[in-house]
Amino acid sequence: MNIFLLLHVLILFIFPPLLLGIIGKTKAFFAGRIGPPLLQPYFDLYKLLHKASVYSVTTHWIFRAAPMISTAAILSAGILMPIANLRPPVQFGGDIILFVYLFALARFVIILAALDTGSSFEGMGASREATFGAFSEIAMFFNLTILALLSRKLSLSGIFLGGLSSSWVLVGPVLILVVVSFFLVLLVENSRIPIDDPDTHLELTMIHEVMVLDHSGVDLCYILYGNAVKLFLFSTMLVSIIFTFRSPDIFLNLVLFILEIVGLAILIGVVESTMARLRLNKVPYLLFSAFIFSIIGFIVILVRGH
Amino acid sequence: MFFLLISLFIFIISSALIFILCRSKKISACLFLWSLVTACGFGLWSAASVLCQKVTSLPLTNVEFRLTSHLPLGEFFIGIDALSAFFLLLLFIVSLAAGIYGYGYLREYEGPRNVGAHFALYHLLVIVMVLVLVARNAILFLAAWELMTIISYFLITFYNESEAVRKAGFIYLVAAHLGVFCLALMFLIMGAQAGSMNFDQMTATRFPLGLAGFLFVLAFVGFGIKAGFMPFHIWLPRAHPAAPSHISALLSAVLIKIGIYGLMRMIIIVKDFPLWCAVGLLIMAVISAVGGMLYALGQGEIKKLLAYSSIENIGIISLGLGVGMMGHVYHQDAVAFIGYTAALVHAFNHAMFKGLLFLSAGSVIRSTHTGDMESMGGLFKWLPWTGHLFLIGSLTICGLPLFSGFISEWLVFRALLEGIFHLDILGIILLSLGIVALSLIGGLAALCFAKAFGVIFLGENRSGQEHHYNEDDLMMRGPMILLAAICLWVGLFPSNIVDAAFQGTQAITGMLVPEALKAAIIIPLLLVTRVLLFGGSIFVVLALLRKFSTQGYQIHLSETWRCGYAKITSRMQYTASSFTQPMLKIFRTILFFKVETVRPKGYFPAETKLSSSVKDVSQDLLFRPLFYGIKRFSRKLKWIQSGHTQTYILYILFLLVILLIWKLC
Repeated sequence: MNIFLLLHVLILFIFPPLLLGIIGKTKAFFAGRIGPPLLQPYFDLYKLLHKASVYSVTTHWIFRAAPMISTAAILSAGILMPIANLRPPVQFGGDIILFVYLFALARFVIILAALDTGSSFEGMGASREATFGAFSEIAMFFNLTILALLSRKLSLSGIFLGGLSSSWVLVGPVLILVVVSFFLVLLVENSRIPIDDPDTHLELTMIHEVMVLDHSGVDLCYILYGNAVKLFLFSTMLVSIIFTFRSPDIFLNLVLFILEIVGLAILIGVVESTMARLRLNKVPYLLFSAFIFSIIGFIVILVRGH
Repeated sequence: MFFLLISLFIFIISSALIFILCRSKKISACLFLWSLVTACGFGLWSAASVLCQKVTSLPLTNVEFRLTSHLPLGEFFIGIDALSAFFLLLLFIVSLAAGIYGYGYLREYEGPRNVGAHFALYHLLVIVMVLVLVARNAILFLAAWELMTIISYFLITFYNESEAVRKAGFIYLVAAHLGVFCLALMFLIMGAQAGSMNFDQMTATRFPLGLAGFLFVLAFVGFGIKAGFMPFHIWLPRAHPAAPSHISALLSAVLIKIGIYGLMRMIIIVKDFPLWCAVGLLIMAVISAVGGMLYALGQGEIKKLLAYSSIENIGIISLGLGVGMMGHVYHQDAVAFIGYTAALVHAFNHAMFKGLLFLSAGSVIRSTHTGDMESMGGLFKWLPWTGHLFLIGSLTICGLPLFSGFISEWLVFRALLEGIFHLDILGIILLSLGIVALSLIGGLAALCFAKAFGVIFLGENRSGQEHHYNEDDLMMRGPMILLAAICLWVGLFPSNIVDAAFQGTQAITGMLVPEALKAAIIIPLLLVTRVLLFGGSIFVVLALLRKFSTQGYQIHLSETWRCGYAKITSRMQYTASSFTQPMLKIFRTILFFKVETVRPKGYFPAETKLSSSVKDVSQDLLFRPLFYGIKRFSRKLKWIQSGHTQTYILYILFLLVILLIWKLC
């Protein structure tokens, strides 16, 4: 049992940057380039870890502590989430609420760090991140409520370890709506392309990347790593909704999980390569549509269930 | 009960002494401080001793005290059950903290007001609030309630040389009296039904469902005005900025909770309600919660922002209360228990963190002499203590893990989800509306308090000039540290307060909460602490890694990167209103959000302007036209009031004749 816990934590800590590598490779393929090696994100993180930092004289300890607090919060959310059908180290009824609020904590401290610099660019990014974050949080909560209602469980492990197995047969359309809505939330929360561009950060239209303009060296390393873990957790959640198949063999599960998540990363890469970024004032519409998808799903459940 | 009477006795004696000695500022302040500390100590002891009793069988313990000698309109009948004790607990903690802070706050005051009288009134306010909480007789309750309004009016209008303060006080007085009218009517109907004005006999009476619904509407308006539910909230955002900060803290942390207490007491007395009462309460709760938060976003004045956020939190508390009532109506006891418990825990937590926020906002205003956030910035360097305490308050109010706000929001969410599992389709729709509202509030609160903390304390000073600010002394810092410590303590070790809230829930429902249910709530909260512990250790590992990897490197200090712009001033930072503009724009139709600009003219424009505003719908579109209408109507009846006493005597004669005819017919 303890070996499985160890395996869970190891995947959580080590696997995430690989997703960024896969997305990068996919984008390079669409652009007709060879692209950076798959392990490039790891090299980047290692490089940043050994760089000296520059700090603004305007900033306080909040600026330096925020990357660590946010990464710690995201990783703590990770120990609630079942990965590759492995039972997570901690589970309890109502941990879905803690899961969402830990991401909120991570976002809040980064927003404060951005405001700490006193730069108007970072203030702008912080304002947008807080605004869009509020909406993606509603969609996220509502989706989790639907999943809780379907599985009649209040914990992530209850929902994803078998709670949904019969739901695809009974209320498949609802789950499709939830998956679509969740995919939009994933793109927003992880600042992927139709909403935000993770590669540039010097334009006025940027959201997340502009908040971390002043972070450098090890702080930037933590922020990038935290973002990778966040993307990984959201992707894990999405594939756990889609693929409810479980085999008793742990290694088969593991292989399947890696295949699923790599597939999702390629999908994100395809979306990023084929779509242009939305104009900033259109982003709320996308968020509303994510929310409305989940509401429609909810109504279907009400009609079916009663 | 004995300790509570001692505490009340100390308060009464000392407030009389302070009134007598109020000429000397020094003596009265000293007396105030010592009597406050001892009396609150005794009071806390009495509340805690009731809450610590383990109740294993019905009926529930209820310590009572009666004076048998009859007063003119009923007996002096007081009692403490777990519900009263729970609210007494938060009352005494906040009164203690706000009182000590007020002592420090007014020490430097050199104005024309009599500080001694202010202190004496503060004691009187605490006495009548305690009486409201322990009264077991409707007449006593109403008398204490009325005194509470009048005394708090005097405390709010401390700076009465200002026109705005007088007006705020007046609006408060009018609003509060509208509430008293409803409450008096409600208690008279209850008393007529029960044949007695004592609460215990009222509780033993059965009220028909239709009447219960009517009584609930009266209670909702009467107590709701005090609590600040959304259409009746207009006194709140005016009175809070007008009052001195320790009084705003007391108002927001305790006084509006007494409105919630009243609603709970009313639920105990009437017991069974029609379904539409619970539905109505839930809808009003959602409106107050979301509306309060949206208006808070649009505010540029720190205490006004906090006042609107109090409305939001009252909304969250009544969401819990509404779930409790829903559970009761549907006979789902587990749902009712979790709902009421969530409401109580959030009431306690809100008292602590809102007290903390108002006090630290008071410190900011004391040192900057303004409440306008747009002219602040970079205060973290000057006011490190206040800054850290305000940060703790902000993290708590956003419901982020590690602090107490998370515990109570978790409980409210848990209650809503439990309700969704066990109620029918109407319940599911309403409660999922609650979930949407609560998650929206979570995000909006983060936006609102990132703005408040970020704009006041972080960045550079926006006024463009160098200022020197003085940090508070220990007298003002101490109470804030106490409140912040409670926020952290409840966030990490929530089991005590949740247990106490379960006792209060038992008093509301009159049933024992099964131990299995208690465990199902408390054990997850303990696991939350375990997750946070894991997060904490990750934080330590990251910090160590950071230390080792950058060893030997020199840390460069420089200016904030300006993205290539050469001449940047601190006035170009993001302001409070620009920070919330995207969100306000999304909700512009509800909020009547307007941005007005004067466009620059000519090649060398001299001056240009931009202002944005949010309109409070219930104030500008509901109450103002209503009161103007009443004024216009009553002007038409002016001829009745001639000013001659003879005419008035004639009116009395007419009335008597009419009554005689009515009686004879």
